[in-house]
Amino acid sequence: MDSNRVVLSIVFLVLGFMIAFSFRVTKDDGDQGNRLTDRQWEQHISLRNQLIEQEEKNRELQKELNAKQEKVREIETSLSKEAQVFFNMAEDAEKYRMFLGKVKVSGKGVKVTLADGEYDPNEENINNYLVHEQHVFKVINELYISGAAAIAVNGQRIAHNSYILCTGPVITVDGYQHPAPFEITAIGDPEVLSSALNITGGVKDQLVNDQIVFSLEKQSEITMEPLLGN
Amino acid sequence: MWLPIMGLIIGAIIGLLTDIRIPDEYANYLSIAILAALDTLFGGIRAQLQNIYDEKVFVSGFFFNIILAASLAFLGVHLGVDLYLAAVFAFGVRLFQNIAVIRRIMLTKWSTTSKRQKKN
Repeated sequence: MDSNRVVLSIVFLVLGFMIAFSFRVTKDDGDQGNRLTDRQWEQHISLRNQLIEQEEKNRELQKELNAKQEKVREIETSLSKEAQVFFNMAEDAEKYRMFLGKVKVSGKGVKVTLADGEYDPNEENINNYLVHEQHVFKVINELYISGAAAIAVNGQRIAHNSYILCTGPVITVDGYQHPAPFEITAIGDPEVLSSALNITGGVKDQLVNDQIVFSLEKQSEITMEPLLGN
Repeated sequence: MWLPIMGLIIGAIIGLLTDIRIPDEYANYLSIAILAALDTLFGGIRAQLQNIYDEKVFVSGFFFNIILAASLAFLGVHLGVDLYLAAVFAFGVRLFQNIAVIRRIMLTKWSTTSKRQKKN
């Protein structure tokens, strides 16, 4: 009977060991989360769904962002175009101010000097060798036609509404009298201006025919003060 | 009588204290082996109650059934057939039958005892 007991206790020992061991192994598995309970599974599913929803939302927002960025880029492009336009306008305004004589101008140009001819005792009419306002007109018009940006007579700027009158031996420019010789300075391309004046049968020839002493000088730096009072 | 229970407790303590890790796929074998062991145990109790208990049969059956069940599960895994289900089924059915027989014998014993007590 004693050996019976011993064998039986060995059998129970093995059984107990196996049950306990198996219990522990199964518990460990549960702890590791390999075997999910229904609730955990549902939690997983709902979390996954949330994640998917979030990602979809993200994608939509990303698309929206892209569209907005596209819009911003378009606006920027139009802004830059507008800036270009404004820049051109500012340039135009500057140019017009220059033409109107409201700003100081400096640059390359030519200087034309018109002087009365030598006194000639044989000539009874003194007007034949004096500089008249139409001579000045001719020179000024020719210079403007050839692309002069600004013109001054004896240092006085000519504006769009300037007038030149012949008052006896002198001429009046915008109310200021100027005696001969007249120095007409023009800012522009010196080559173009001088060749325009020197053209055969052109202004220079006509003036020389009228007994006027005509001299042309290219200058690299001419500065004109703005007109005062307008 | 206390020696087997002592053995059970000591075995359980050893099982809880051992820190051997076995892979997940072998956990199945272990549960099958436990099932076989329980089946044999209840078979032994039934035999005892029916007075046909043989220690050699019991002990050899205990270990042999455990090994057989585990190897059946092993074979099933390697064949791709869930053979351990066969073992679970067979041992499960026998377990229930054994327990049912034990219950009836106990009932009979209990009723005869109470009758005898009434007679007395």
